[in-house]
Amino acid sequence: MNSSQRIRGLSYVLPALVFIVIIFMIPLTYTVVMSFLRWNLLRPDLGIRAAGFSNFVRLFTDKFTLDTVGRTFYFVVGSVFLELLAGLAIALSLDTEFKGWKIAQSIILVPFMIAPVVVGFVWRFILNNDYGPVVHFIRQIGLGSLVERPLLSNPSAVIPVLILADAWQYTPFVALVLLAGLKSIPQEPYEAAYVDGSSALQRFLFITLPLLKPSILVAVVIRTLTSLRVFDTIFIMTGGGPGTASETLAFYGYRIAFQSYNIGFSSAINMLTFGIAIVFTVIYMKMIKGGAIYD
Amino acid sequence: MIRRKPAQKIGALIVIGLALVWTLVPLLWIVLSSFKFETDQFSIPPNWFPDRFTLENYIAFFSNSEFVRSLFNSVFITFSSTIIALLLGVPAAYALARFNWKHSNTVAFVVLLARMTPPIVMVLPFFMLSRYLGISQTYLPIILALSFFSVPFAVWMMRGFFQEIPVSLEEAAMIDGCTRFQSLRRVILPLVMPGLSATSILCALIAWNEFLFALVLTGRDTRPLPVLVNMFVSERNIEWGVMSAAAIITVLPMIIFGLIVQNDLVRGLTMGSSK
Repeated sequence: MNSSQRIRGLSYVLPALVFIVIIFMIPLTYTVVMSFLRWNLLRPDLGIRAAGFSNFVRLFTDKFTLDTVGRTFYFVVGSVFLELLAGLAIALSLDTEFKGWKIAQSIILVPFMIAPVVVGFVWRFILNNDYGPVVHFIRQIGLGSLVERPLLSNPSAVIPVLILADAWQYTPFVALVLLAGLKSIPQEPYEAAYVDGSSALQRFLFITLPLLKPSILVAVVIRTLTSLRVFDTIFIMTGGGPGTASETLAFYGYRIAFQSYNIGFSSAINMLTFGIAIVFTVIYMKMIKGGAIYD
Repeated sequence: MIRRKPAQKIGALIVIGLALVWTLVPLLWIVLSSFKFETDQFSIPPNWFPDRFTLENYIAFFSNSEFVRSLFNSVFITFSSTIIALLLGVPAAYALARFNWKHSNTVAFVVLLARMTPPIVMVLPFFMLSRYLGISQTYLPIILALSFFSVPFAVWMMRGFFQEIPVSLEEAAMIDGCTRFQSLRRVILPLVMPGLSATSILCALIAWNEFLFALVLTGRDTRPLPVLVNMFVSERNIEWGVMSAAAIITVLPMIIFGLIVQNDLVRGLTMGSSK
């Protein structure tokens, strides 16, 4: 490629790149700097002072941080696992010849297009302890003891319920990714296995699953990254409560910044969230390079 | 497609049946609630099908200037950020697909990192900086923030679509005397039109549904629909009917657009790693 082509190529890429880098790097640098400051908007008298590593020391020595990370992973692992199982079942079922499957697929996909805020509203409504239809149904089938305390104010039920709401929204995405993977598996291995007299379970375990692995990995990593940032549904369904029983890392960072106005400490929390996201992004890049992805 | 035995077909039917019920029950409840009279919202036990339905919730939505303003804000913010994403993203995608220089991997990494960064990391600096610059609660910060999210999608999705078009087509056009720009406009662009519309819809979907940035960066005059929905749910006495109508109005356009391009949607959201 000659140099004039290189320059033209650069001139196409540059605007987008400059835009991303500016919009990305300035706030990121700002966060890094703020995380080393003692800065509370409610205490202007104290001003902005250098804090050294004290925000991070506080972050990593506070038991609450560990609890929040634990809760976040509880939510992430629970939702990704559930979505993977349900998504796999749906993808395998959609991968059969039935008329009308295309319509079923479209309907199943609908929650995925819905704004997470609205998903939160919908779930809050149907789980309302007085006039929510789902709670009423739970009582009718004799499981009333489950909903004696309103589900969203019950500290031990709130995360599982949030996981269900998350699964309602994102299982369709996982199912569609896996379905695309299933459709790209060639027919030949199945025919060979069929001739060899294998059982359906054997074909699933030894052909479908291994060949579907790249799609499963893609779905799992992308869902892990997106569920790590969960905020909207929690904000609207529980506000992090009861107490802090449903507070995840993203929510913790938000609360410290916009309710306690502790800019420095919130930035330190957000750096931790960012660090966790980077680890998963690098894993994703490795998968792309390792040929796990057929781009 | 795998050949199935009857037992497996029945299993598949059951799974899809359950999935449909699971998907449709919450949706149906909201749709019905949006047509119920206020008194029927609070019936105990809950009543799916009261004797009469009404349009009063939708009328209430459209006769409230604050609500209509939010609808306009949503449309304006979504439209602007999508245009920016396409203007910046499409040329970059073309270059990444066509010129292969050694740095394209670095560019890809930057784009991917921008996509993977949790919004919470960006939102506080965005808030502080727009306050500092005196542009807080205007349209500018929210549009810039949303474009930041959709540019990476536009780049990755369009790169995939450009890669599918054989280079020989362009070369042929250029041999026939087109400049690269002309061949882009007259030969390539018509071919990537379906991809372009899918990309626009995905960018629009991201902007339309975004909540955290909108919550923090917009004010009374600029807030989009998701922030409005949130405001009324946080209040003590939720007007379930009007809110259900607002919810339907919020989600309906994106469901329609999204279903039109459903296959390309997944491709965009997996950054081209799944086709």
